This record gives sequence, C-alpha cells and structure tokens, in this order.
Amino acid sequence: MSAPIRLYMSMTLDGFIAGPDDRPGQELGRGGGRVFNWLDDRMSEGANGQVFREAMDTGALISGRRTFELAGRWQGDHHDGVPIFVLTHHVDDGDVPPGSARFVTDVADCAAQARAAAGERAVMVHGAGAAQALLRTGLLDELEIHLVPVLLGDGRRLFDGLGAEHIELELVRRLPGRDVMHLRYRVRRP
Amino acid sequence: MSFPARLVYLDDNNRTERSRSLGKLVLSMSMSLDGFIAGPGDSPDNPFGDDGQRLHAWLGDGGEDPPSYRPADEAGRTVFDELLATGAVITGRRTGDYVNYWGGDHHDGVPIFVPTHQAPAGPTPGNVHFVTDGIASCAAQAKAAAGERDVMLHGAYTAREALRARVLDVLEIQLVPVLFGDGRRLFDDPGSDRVELDLVRTLESPGALLLRYEVRYA
Repeated sequence: MSAPIRLYMSMTLDGFIAGPDDRPGQELGRGGGRVFNWLDDRMSEGANGQVFREAMDTGALISGRRTFELAGRWQGDHHDGVPIFVLTHHVDDGDVPPGSARFVTDVADCAAQARAAAGERAVMVHGAGAAQALLRTGLLDELEIHLVPVLLGDGRRLFDGLGAEHIELELVRRLPGRDVMHLRYRVRRP
Repeated sequence: MSFPARLVYLDDNNRTERSRSLGKLVLSMSMSLDGFIAGPGDSPDNPFGDDGQRLHAWLGDGGEDPPSYRPADEAGRTVFDELLATGAVITGRRTGDYVNYWGGDHHDGVPIFVPTHQAPAGPTPGNVHFVTDGIASCAAQAKAAAGERDVMLHGAYTAREALRARVLDVLEIQLVPVLFGDGRRLFDDPGSDRVELDLVRTLESPGALLLRYEVRYA
C-alpha cells in the first residue's frame, strides 16, 4: 500500500477540537486553547516531539475550507511548502489561494491529487470537515488522535454527522505524551 | 435502610468530627471513539440502541463462565473485577428502567441507588433505593453504604449530573475502536464547566482501550 492519508487532530475526551463560537479573531473558540497545550512540548525529545515531527514530515496537506480560512490560509505555506489541497464546495471567480494551496471541489479527486503529490510520504489531513468528508467516502486511511484529558463541555466536535454506518478501526499505536495520549488508528476496510 | 446514613463519628477525646476514608465514585462506560454509548433508537426493547452491542464486545460473551461477562484477557479482567468489587451501584433512572434494575441485584446484592425526581409508586425489586433529594445526596448515601469500597456509577445523564455537582471522582472509560456516527452520546452537556482530568492508568484490551481518569475539580 502507498503511504497513508492520515488525519492529525487534537481532541478532548468529550470529543471537541475547539471551544464554542470559533470564528475569525477567536479561531480556537472560547477556551479552545486548552486543546493545544501539549504543543508547548512539541520540540521535546519525548512522544509529543516525535508525533509533531512526524506530522511535519508529511508530503501534502488536505484541509477543509473552514479550517483553511480560520488559519488565515497559512499564508500559503503550512509546512515546508508542501502542496495544500483545500476541499471546498465553491470557488469564487478570481479567488486564487496563496502559495502552495489550491482549491479542489471533489473529495476523491482531492485524495488522489494529494496522494500523488506526497509520493512516498504520508498525507496529512486537518480539520473536522475534511476528516468527515474523507471518512464518509472511505478515503481516510489512518487517524492520529491527540487525546487531551479534559472535558471541554461545549464547542466544535471532530466527529459529527457521519451517518449511522459504523466505521471499524484498529488501534495500531499508542504513545503517552505529556498532557496528551497519541492514539493512531487504522480504518478497517470492510 | 440497613446501613448508616453518614459515616461520620464523634471523636471521644476532642469531640471533633472526622470521617472514615471512603471509596471513590467511579463512572464506568463503554464509549466509541466518536463519543457514543448507545446506537440510535434505544428503548426498553433495544437498550443498547441499533448495533449498540458493538460497544460491549470487550466483555466476555458469557460462554466461558456463564452467566458472567468476565473478559478473557488480563487487562479486561482487571477492570471488570474492580467494577464487580464495588460496594454500591448508582444508576440513572433511564438505564435502570431499561434493565428492570437487574432484578434488584447488579452484583453480590450490593445496594443500588437511583437518583430520580419521583420514586415509582409500586414495589421496588431487591436492594434498590430511589433518592429524590439530588445527586449529591445520592452519592453520599451510596458511598456510606459501600464503606471503604468504591461506588460504581452507570448512565450518561447521571454521570453529567454527578460532574456538575462535583461528586464524580473517577472516569473508567472503555474506549472502543469504532466510529458509531449516530446514537446517544456520553458527554453532551452544553454550557457545563470545563473539567480537568488526570489519566492515571491505561490498559490495552483486545476490544478496547481501558482509560482511568481522576477528576480534578478547580
């Protein structure tokens, strides 16, 4: 099998990836910064550093449109100038994303382009919308969940509106880090 | 009731109050990675919801040691045995009604406490106590009954009430490697305060990751 398309997301035990009311100017939602505390430790030699380095070693990025805009389009460069494929429903005439980013409106096309661009490296997926679209179409291979030991109570969920079909997973790696547990799951194909 | 309502004693010498060391209130729930504890359409005839049994596959099938659901693997057994060593059970009204309060005996005949707004009119089975003056009182009564043993809590709504009242001590979550997509969520309480947790134990069972968190109230 070629290199995987892998979701990277920090999630609280109650399933949130951001606090409530996430919007420009308050990108992580109210109190949502708590979800990313472990990243303070991202340069460490421990598990947090390892997982962060792996994420930064991916060869392409698939992002949802919402995440892309909230992140200020990453000024066109998420990491190392790798190609950024932004899943979106609609592209305005003349709206050309900056740097290595491009818009893609078809999820299968998006996955195929990202895979080709990444070559032998993994593709990083970021954002709940992109994750859900890829899961629904069976195009996501792996999930690296940074499980944060907190109940946020409210906010934006990672898994929402997936539909009632079960998606079976296999836990393939577990790395305990400081203030977080990194869980890697592989999506089982039926 | 056959147990003291409060385990508080007067010290003979200086007449100050001291309490005996009580067990912990432990929530135990099997949850999918996307946060569901039952499939959609749960009802008394379908207590786990559609395909909800998937969440309980980490338990034994009752075949090895009927009618026990003790898991076959060591990690699963560790948690299972701890849960069955608890000295009292708290269950939500909804969960309790679905399973008829296990005929009044969840395990070893320990008392079962049910926080509810109104106790049912009819006779209650076995060692079941309906508590109408709130979750904190319910927790205190259950802990007193359990003595130095832990109290097991079951049910999503009751768990949220216990968190809000700051009486829940431990979350024992069996995290099942599946995305359910729909059903009943364990944590669904918009507007509740943030609650910090300490992950104090991780056990890997073939069917689930067994995560034990201690609650750290601010």
